[in-house]
Amino acid sequence: MQRTSLFLTLTALLAAPATAQAQAQTKGNVPASLFQSIGKKGGTLTLSLVSSPQSFNYFAVLDNNSYTVLNNVFDRLITLDPLTNKLYPDLAESWSMTPDGRTATLKLRKGVKWSDGQTFDADDVMFTLDDLASNTGLKANQSALFKIGKEPLKFTKVDQYTVKVTAPKPYGAMLQVLTFVPILPQHKLAKYNPVKDPDAFSKAWTTNTPLTDIVGTGPYVLSKYTVDQKVALVRNPYSWRRDPAGNVLPYMDKLEYLIIKSPDAQIASFRAGQLDSAPISGSQFPDLKRQELGGAKFRVIRGVGLNNPPVHLAFNQDAKDANLKKAFSDVKFRQALEYAVNRPRIVDTVFNGLASNPGFGVAPVSEWFNPLTKTMLSEFDLKKAATRLDALGYRDTNGDGVRNFSGGGPNVEFSLLHAADSSIMPGIATIIQSDFGKVGIKVNLQGVTGSTVLPTAMAGNFEAALNSFGDQPDPQLRKDIWQPGGALNYWHRAVQPAHEGDTPNLSAMQPYEKQIYTLFAQAEASGDQKKRKQWYDQWQLLFARNIPVIMIAKPDSVAAFQARIGNFYVKDNAVITSNYTMYEK
Amino acid sequence: MLSYALRRLLGMIPTLLIISVVCFAVIKLQPGSFFDQYRDDPRVTKAQIDAYNHRYALDQPNVVQYFIWLRNILFHGDLGYSFANDRPVTSMIGERLGWTVFLSVLTLLVSWLLAVPLGIYTALGQAAFSNPRKTLGDRVAIGANYLMNFFGYISMAIPDFLVALLLVGWLLAHHKTNVGGLFSPEFIDAPWSWAKVKDLLSHLWVPMIAIGLEGVAGLMRQMRASMLDVINQDYVRTARAKGLAPRTVLWRHAVRNAVNPLISLAGLSLPSLISGTIVASIVLNLPTIGPFLYDSLINKDQFVSMALLMFSALLLLLGNLLADLALASVDPRVRFE
Repeated sequence: MQRTSLFLTLTALLAAPATAQAQAQTKGNVPASLFQSIGKKGGTLTLSLVSSPQSFNYFAVLDNNSYTVLNNVFDRLITLDPLTNKLYPDLAESWSMTPDGRTATLKLRKGVKWSDGQTFDADDVMFTLDDLASNTGLKANQSALFKIGKEPLKFTKVDQYTVKVTAPKPYGAMLQVLTFVPILPQHKLAKYNPVKDPDAFSKAWTTNTPLTDIVGTGPYVLSKYTVDQKVALVRNPYSWRRDPAGNVLPYMDKLEYLIIKSPDAQIASFRAGQLDSAPISGSQFPDLKRQELGGAKFRVIRGVGLNNPPVHLAFNQDAKDANLKKAFSDVKFRQALEYAVNRPRIVDTVFNGLASNPGFGVAPVSEWFNPLTKTMLSEFDLKKAATRLDALGYRDTNGDGVRNFSGGGPNVEFSLLHAADSSIMPGIATIIQSDFGKVGIKVNLQGVTGSTVLPTAMAGNFEAALNSFGDQPDPQLRKDIWQPGGALNYWHRAVQPAHEGDTPNLSAMQPYEKQIYTLFAQAEASGDQKKRKQWYDQWQLLFARNIPVIMIAKPDSVAAFQARIGNFYVKDNAVITSNYTMYEK
Repeated sequence: MLSYALRRLLGMIPTLLIISVVCFAVIKLQPGSFFDQYRDDPRVTKAQIDAYNHRYALDQPNVVQYFIWLRNILFHGDLGYSFANDRPVTSMIGERLGWTVFLSVLTLLVSWLLAVPLGIYTALGQAAFSNPRKTLGDRVAIGANYLMNFFGYISMAIPDFLVALLLVGWLLAHHKTNVGGLFSPEFIDAPWSWAKVKDLLSHLWVPMIAIGLEGVAGLMRQMRASMLDVINQDYVRTARAKGLAPRTVLWRHAVRNAVNPLISLAGLSLPSLISGTIVASIVLNLPTIGPFLYDSLINKDQFVSMALLMFSALLLLLGNLLADLALASVDPRVRFE
C-alpha cells in the first residue's frame, strides 16, 4: 500500500503546485486530475445511448449500453486515474502487496452505504468476486481475468473491511484485473442463488424490474426507465465521493440518457442543445469544429486516448491457399508489404487527420510503451516495396501487371476482409488495395457486416483482414490477442491449443513467436514490475521486427460537449471527464 | 355475415401455419445463432455457448425446433424468449406496442384525411381541361391540378427518411429543438399534463409529415384514378341528367363507389404497424417497434424476429378480413357467397 499511496500523493503534489490545493487533496477521495475547477451543485446531465439497455444485471448481459448506464450505479474496488492511467483507490481505500507478489491485501472504504442505506462491506466483495465474477454460468463472467494458466485467483475475507487476493504463483496484473469488476450488493442478489441456478439469476434485474430494487454504491441510482426513450438516474443519497474541497459528488442532481439510435440524430440532438455531450467520430470533427469557431455554444476537443483501438492488417498464416500461406508466414514478405502501407494518407483522408501512429500492442501513452519502437514503423515507399518483392522472387512472369508466385505460379492475389459498415475500414481497405496494386499485388475487397468480421477471422475463414482491438494499460490484459496461441491470436490459429487454457502448440510456432510466448508467460507470473516492464519491452521489439500483423493507425479521442459544462477538458493530451465531476457553469 | 367472418377466421389457421413455416425457415436460413456472436468473447467459454444452445433447443434439428416453437405458442401462449434481454418476448413487444399503434393510426388518419379530398379535387379538376372555353376558375383549377400532381410525384419519389433528414436539417438551421423523438427530454418520463400534450404536438408534426407524406401521395393518386373511372360512368351521367345537385352526385354516386379500392388498401396497410417505418423511426428516433425488429434480425434474436413476423402476418390477414367486411357494409353489391 505504502508504495502506491505515496506515489499517488507525489503525483498529486506534482500536479498541483499550489499548497492549498495539495491540502485540499486530503479531503477529496477521487482522482484530482478529474477537476479543472471545483464545481457547483445542481442541474441535469443529459447524455445519449445508441440502444436500449438489455438488462440491468451486470454479469448476465454482454451489452455496452447496459454497462454505460450501470457504471454510474456500481463501483469497482480500484479504478484508474484518467490522466496517468495508474491505479487509484475506489471502494478499496488502500492495498498492500507481499514481496513475493502473490498476495494483495485490500482495505475497504469504511462508512460506504448501498443506496438503500445498507452497509457495504467485505461480504459484498466476496459475493461479487466468488459468486458472480468467477461464475462461468453467467454470460458476462470475468473468470478468464482471474486465471493464471489454469489456476484461478483465490479471494478470502479477513475481516469486515479487509479482503485478501492470493495468486497460485506471482501474478503481475493482479490489481489491474480488479479495475474491471463492479461490486454488486449481496443483500439484494444472493437470494437468486447465482452459483446453483445461474439461469434464474440471469432473469433477475431485467429491464422491467422495479428500479428501487437495483441498489449501488456509485454516484447515481436508477430512477426511471422509459422503454426506447430514456434512462433517468438521480444522485445516490449515500454517495461517498467528495471533491478536493470536501463537497459531495456528483455535482449534478440528475443524469439522463436519451436513447437515440442513429449517430446523425445524436448529433442533431446535441446541436439542438438537448444533449450535453455526444460521442463523435473523426469524420464529424471538422464540421463541428467549424460550427464551434462560428460561435456555436459547444466545444469540440481532441486528445490521445489509451484504449482507442488501433487498426491492424493481419495475414492468415494458415491460409487455405498453400502459396499464400507460405508468403504470409514469411516475415520478409510482410515487411515488403508494410512499405506499401500509406499511413499518412490513411490518417489524412480516412481519419481527417485525427489519428496517430500506433504502438506495437501497447498504446504510446501507456507507461508500458517501449519508446525504442517509436521509429520502427516503416515509411511509405513503393519502390522499396517493389524491390523487396522482386528480391523475394515474386515477379510478374506472365505480364498481366500482377506479380506471380515464384516459378511461374499463379497471381499473388488475396481478399481483404473488413467491416463494410464501419466509418473507417472501407476507406483504409481501398487505400491499401490501390497501393498494393501499384506494386503488383492484387487485393480483392471483401466487405462484410462489422459484427461478423472477427467471428469469420477467428474461424480461419479469410486471407487478409482489417481489424482492431482496444489497447489496455497492462499488456497482461491483452495476452489473448498478442501472445501466440491466445484465443484472439487469429492470424496464426495453428498454434492455438486444442482445448482452451491448455499449452499451445509450441512446435508450430516460429522462433520469434516462441520467444513472445515465453516473455508473456514470464511477465504473467511475476510480481516484479521492473522485470515485467523489461519483458514487455522485449516483446514490443520482437513485434516491431517481425510484424505478425501490420499496425496502421490509432484513432485520437474526440469529444463534443456544451460550453456550459465544466470539468470536461484536455490535459497532457488526455480527454478528461467523468459523469460525477461535470457541472453546470 | 357472422358465419362468413367465422369461416374466414377458420381459413386463416392453415394460412398462418404455412406462414409460420416460412417465417421459421427464413430465420433459420441465416447461418449461426444468437449465441455465436459470443464465440469471439473471451469471457464466454465454448461449453457455455453449447449449454445455452442446448437450453433453448438450438442444437436440435430444425424440424424439432419448429415444433417446439409451435407447441409453446399453441399450448402455452409462449412466443419465446429474447436472448439479448433475458425476458419473454411477449412483455417486450407489449411495452413497445402503445406508441407504435398511436403513431401508425395517427399517420394513417392524417394521410387519409388529406389524400381522399385531394384525390377527389384533382380528379374533378380534370373536367376543367376538357372545357373548350376556359374560364378563370378553370385556369385556377388546372394550375392547382398541376401543382397537386407535381407534389404527388415528388413526395412519392422521396423516401420518408430523406424527408425526415431534410426536416431535421431545416429545424436545426432555425435553432429549433424538436429534432427527434416524441417529447423534449424533460417530458419523456413526466406525468401527463397539458404542457406534455403541447410538447408532444410540437414534436409530432415532423414524423406526420415525414411518414404521412408518402402515404398521402400514393393514396391521392389511387383516389384520383378511381374517381376518374367512376365519374365517366353512365350512372353518374344519369344522376346528373335527372337533375340531382352536383354535391349529391359527387358524394352519393361518385365518391361512394370510388372509395371501394381504398378500403381494400387500408386493410393491407395494417402490417406496416410493425415494419412500415423502420428507417424513418431510426432517423427521427421514434420509440416504435420497427427498430426493435431490425435489431432482433441483426442480432439473430430469433424468437423476437419470429414473433414479430408472425404478428405482422396475422395483422395482414386480419386487415384483409376487416377490409372485406367494411367493403360489404359500404357496397351492397358485395355478397358473402
